[in-house]
Amino acid sequence: MSAKSGSATAERAEQGQGSRRPSESLTRDECLELFKQLYLARYFDIRLIKEKKRGRLRGTLYSSHNQEAILVGSLFGLQSTDWISPIHRDMPAFFLKDIRSGWDNDSRIGMTIEEVCCQVWGKEGSPGRARDNWSHIGSKSKKIIHSTSMLAGTIPAAAGVAYADRMQGGNCVVLTYNGEGSTAQGIFHEAINYAAVHKLPVITIIENNHWAYGTPTELESPVEDFADRAKGYGIPGLIADGQDVFDVYDKVMEAVEHARSGKGPAIVECKTFRAYGHGDHDDDRAQKYRPAEEVEKGRSRDPIAVCRKRLIELGHLTGEAATSFMAEGKSAAEATNEDFPPEVVAYLNRGIEAAIASPLPAAEEGAMWVFKENN
Amino acid sequence: MAATTEAPAALKKNYLTALKEALDEEMLRNKLMLCQGEDIGRLGGAFGVTDGLQAKYGEDRVVDMPISEAAIIGSAVGMALNGMTVMAEMQFIDFISCGFDQIVNMMATYHYRTAGEVNIPVVVRGPAGAYGGGALYHSQMNEAWFCNSPGLKVVCPSTPYDAKGMLKAALRDGNPVIFYEIKELYRKREIEEELPAEDYIVPLGKAAVRREGTDVTLVSYGQNVYHCLDAAAELEKQGISAEVIDLRSLVPLDEETIFASIAKTSRVIVVNEAPMTCGFAGEVVARITTKAFHLLDAPPSRVTRMDTPVPWVKPLELHVLPSVEKIVNEAVRLVRF
Repeated sequence: MSAKSGSATAERAEQGQGSRRPSESLTRDECLELFKQLYLARYFDIRLIKEKKRGRLRGTLYSSHNQEAILVGSLFGLQSTDWISPIHRDMPAFFLKDIRSGWDNDSRIGMTIEEVCCQVWGKEGSPGRARDNWSHIGSKSKKIIHSTSMLAGTIPAAAGVAYADRMQGGNCVVLTYNGEGSTAQGIFHEAINYAAVHKLPVITIIENNHWAYGTPTELESPVEDFADRAKGYGIPGLIADGQDVFDVYDKVMEAVEHARSGKGPAIVECKTFRAYGHGDHDDDRAQKYRPAEEVEKGRSRDPIAVCRKRLIELGHLTGEAATSFMAEGKSAAEATNEDFPPEVVAYLNRGIEAAIASPLPAAEEGAMWVFKENN
Repeated sequence: MAATTEAPAALKKNYLTALKEALDEEMLRNKLMLCQGEDIGRLGGAFGVTDGLQAKYGEDRVVDMPISEAAIIGSAVGMALNGMTVMAEMQFIDFISCGFDQIVNMMATYHYRTAGEVNIPVVVRGPAGAYGGGALYHSQMNEAWFCNSPGLKVVCPSTPYDAKGMLKAALRDGNPVIFYEIKELYRKREIEEELPAEDYIVPLGKAAVRREGTDVTLVSYGQNVYHCLDAAAELEKQGISAEVIDLRSLVPLDEETIFASIAKTSRVIVVNEAPMTCGFAGEVVARITTKAFHLLDAPPSRVTRMDTPVPWVKPLELHVLPSVEKIVNEAVRLVRF
């Protein structure tokens, strides 16, 4: 059941009886593209884990393993001109944005794999010239809001982007990504309350992976469903199965349609589970503070497996293709390049080669761009 | 200029009217500018700085915001990211602490983080300052917090002419600016002045010499400039010639004007309303000590608020704040040093 609260959703649910879910209109090619994007997101993650373990990377890696369906499913239905605001666990979002305009289309309104890899490697070719780490990148021209480490801190900016877009005659929506832990922040309330007052097209995605660093959800919130937060703002609060890329696509598209038609913001809670520690620095300790059976259960529905099953049911994956590239369930240590489609591996290799070739920024840049110079 | 019988004297305007004119003129010339804050539209602002603007520019461009300073500032950053210029009003500058993270982490660093791709033309302005019985949460001068956050310009005009010219400059600057207005000056009759009919700005980062002197330099900003001027008048009676510098802008800081004055006087007192420890006066003194030590005949000194909050009732309030008497006494001590 998708509609948790909010009159607009209830209305839609009533009208929606007998109507098709958005994902039912996806073509075979689009379904296979979704599947491939899941591989791309997964491969990016496990490859970075491997590179990090080999000592080739600085900074902390916040794995998106097991949460890829949220990124792929939410981004797939956006228009090129929509804005997004990913956070630390959403690294693949930077290159998945607008990737439907072509994996090799450098002019798409999303980052290239080269740009994202340059950022991870801390090189000059990064969109922000590697001035802040890992996920703290963005681009005005690519319509990606830059996050800080202060959680939920980009929701007000998302609302402002939406307000300015509307004033300038645009019709964009803005997707913000947040962990369930960040809903406890005061700014979460302030920003969504403001967005709801002005019916701004801001969609707050809550990736509920059940752990805020070392703290379980029951110590973060008195309610089980974070989508219930929507009730206080009179906006729709939807719940998606975060392991199912099609369900995420459906619920986000419902929210997008709602927002783009001028009815205002929505919250989409995607239920998932964090595969590893909070960051790679925390993997060992995470095994101590999280019960093994909970982790096993939480990782039992790998989004690649869930998608594969659906594609087989739909008849889109048959014969040998149905059982090839069995990356699901494999950790970074277990997975190899052979578990992934070769075009996925080649795509990331291209990014990594560009990153390695890109120079470090000059030391003097550390003191530059504090102010816009007015000469 | 003397009034003639043919034409009426040009109207003298107060500090608040000067600010209002600045907003009005910038809203008129920049269609992508917006004002937002608490009670700024229908009410026209708690002090009336935005009075009449919503009727003229509409509810979309003069926005009554929820009591959410972090959302007021944070959404302004998003608007700036998407091409707009925003004036974000803090009903009292004391309330800016509620939006602190959005200012220092989101807004101040945006240009830096993006290697210059993104400019944030946002002015966060609001009424500041003590001496009015506003007590702990309606009296603050918290400028030091933001001077210590690279990426923010921090300014504080003390005259109607500067209030207008600097607010216009701030709105055109392209960098985030924290703009301290002195609420005790909003309607102060004694400082009303004629303002140019034509468009003008006062560049940020330039100090003004408000009174020339040869024995001691009094450096200040905001309301304390007037305490310094009164102290200078008192010192003159004692045969001491004080020069008074109004910094106007803290970041960027006009060091040259300060050092040029000390080259004449060889003594300096920096006066600010904020508490002493890590207050902006300390920064000015540190720069003088580092860069102009050879010009000094006495240790550079400070007159600041004690390291206390601002208490409510008058005797307590005046006890902890800088005063004419405290400045005079310190100047005399330095001259006799």
